[in-house]
Amino acid sequence: MGLLEIGGLLLFIMLLMLGGGVWIAMTLAIVGWVGQAYFTNTQPGLNLFSSFWETASSWELAALPLFIWMGEILYRTKLSEQMFDGLSPWLSKVPGRLMHTTILGCGIFGSVSGSSAATCATIAKVALPELDRRGYDKSLALGSLSAAGGLGILIPPSITMVVYAVAADTSVIRLFLAGFLPGFLLMGLFSGYIIWWSLRHPDKVPPAELPTTFWQKIHRSGSLIPCGLLIVFIVWVLVAGIATATECAAWGVVGSLAIAAAGRSLTWQNFWQGLVGATRVSCMIMFILAGAAFLTKTMAFTGIPRELAEYVQSLNLSPYGLIAVLVVVYLILGTALDGISMIMLTSAVILPLIEKAGFDLVWFGIFIIMLIEIAEITPPVGFNLFVLQNMTGIDSNRIARMTLPFFGCMVLAIVLITVFPDIVTSLPNWFMGVER
Amino acid sequence: MENSVNPQARSLIRRFLDGLYALGGALSACAVLIILILMIGASIGRQLDWRVSWINDVVAWLCASAAFFGMAYSFRNGDFVRVTLLLESVSPAVRRWMEFISLAIAFIAISYLGYWATLFTYQSWEFNEIAGNMVAIPIWIPQCSFVIGSIILMIAVVDECLCVVRGAKPSYVVRVEERHARGDFSEEL
Repeated sequence: MGLLEIGGLLLFIMLLMLGGGVWIAMTLAIVGWVGQAYFTNTQPGLNLFSSFWETASSWELAALPLFIWMGEILYRTKLSEQMFDGLSPWLSKVPGRLMHTTILGCGIFGSVSGSSAATCATIAKVALPELDRRGYDKSLALGSLSAAGGLGILIPPSITMVVYAVAADTSVIRLFLAGFLPGFLLMGLFSGYIIWWSLRHPDKVPPAELPTTFWQKIHRSGSLIPCGLLIVFIVWVLVAGIATATECAAWGVVGSLAIAAAGRSLTWQNFWQGLVGATRVSCMIMFILAGAAFLTKTMAFTGIPRELAEYVQSLNLSPYGLIAVLVVVYLILGTALDGISMIMLTSAVILPLIEKAGFDLVWFGIFIIMLIEIAEITPPVGFNLFVLQNMTGIDSNRIARMTLPFFGCMVLAIVLITVFPDIVTSLPNWFMGVER
Repeated sequence: MENSVNPQARSLIRRFLDGLYALGGALSACAVLIILILMIGASIGRQLDWRVSWINDVVAWLCASAAFFGMAYSFRNGDFVRVTLLLESVSPAVRRWMEFISLAIAFIAISYLGYWATLFTYQSWEFNEIAGNMVAIPIWIPQCSFVIGSIILMIAVVDECLCVVRGAKPSYVVRVEERHARGDFSEEL
């Protein structure tokens, strides 16, 4: 059997188990085991143990539970109400008015939270009823919320980025820095679409509220100051290089606890629930990471990725051609999988391929994260859609249709970062120097 | 099956098992809390010229404990991701079979993992391997979290398996349904 056939067989086993409902972490490890036991001369037991132990006992990975916890704490505060109140007075002059609170709110919450469904849920919880009450167009609001929720994983800190950095063995801080400009680009595109839509449908945009003076605006935004300080602090720590990503996460937790305490929403019960919830999620992710590390080892032993890379090279695809193929692959995977599983299922094979084709792994990380954002809004399995379906009772497929224009914005953003990779790499290169 | 164990004993076993999973979860949560405290200490300590290099080793082991102790708790809560597309579209009887097969596969996989975890941790103890760069303690001590965590997870898988055999919904399905019904999506990424 040739290596590519072995790869095909392993892929078949993997798809069979995934489809049957075997947990993703276990599927990864089992496929890794089959590959090692039947197609290499190594000891799968020893490799299994060392993959799991080395992955889990990692000081870098400790950032993961902390960043998740930070999001959990803020999820349980009144931040979403404050966000709406604080942002709305500034938007009365912009075409589309309060509709932009969805984009800005998700952007700001995304820069303190690392999860996309949590960002979407937090902002939607307040913005949806408020926009509805004022008579804003519901389908535009739902579309922009489900799309902008994805900013949670693109704007640092981001749990998905920590996971990718561990899988690809790149610097977490570099990835975080790389996420800012694409995040702003995406926010600009979303807001641009809302402005364009509002100019075309002036009858569907409710009138502005009573004008407020500058000081009134400042006063109403005052409640956002702690959150703003937290963002500035995190960005400063990342950029100045005074702390590692894990320390940054630890201070982020302290900051969010302070915000929660100041807003009087910090009780012992909340504290413990947030901590336990974060622990459970990180247990799950670390198990997937360990399973994927084992599979990666199998792949390295069998040499399947090298063979595949040579095969792809023999096709003489242009770099854009390769990227286009990967976009299609990830879009298909994204219909059924969540983001972290997508990275983990493919990292063992795709990352060596990408490196060989001469792409920057940090750039590819941002690229993959933007594709994951798209996956969150593509049916049948898209978590942002589920969140909004759960909140409004509108069928997720209908919400997906409302999101279509924003889907277009995301595809445009992916094309832009592919054609101008500097959008991604310039910020980390500026602050940390060019890699290698 | 229903009559072989008297109900009182069964509820006692139930309470014991739930307590065991919750204890694992609580240990994990404590590990995360200590990581937080140590990381804050490390970043302050570095400015004050304390010796903080030992912290990295300890944090790495705590991270492993956080990952392993809570596995069963996380599994029972339905936090472990899986593709449910097919499961949700088949009839309840077929679904029950699929759940059973998945759990059986999981049982074999986790037993295998637990076996090797125990074997190598035992070897670390036998050869008295010393860990780390800065903190010289026997490595089997932190590795115990791996052994204990996988044993608890194995018990949890058997527990769910028996539950499916009896015809009930496994708790990892029930918990997720409850959570989503409450509108709580804080645990989806």
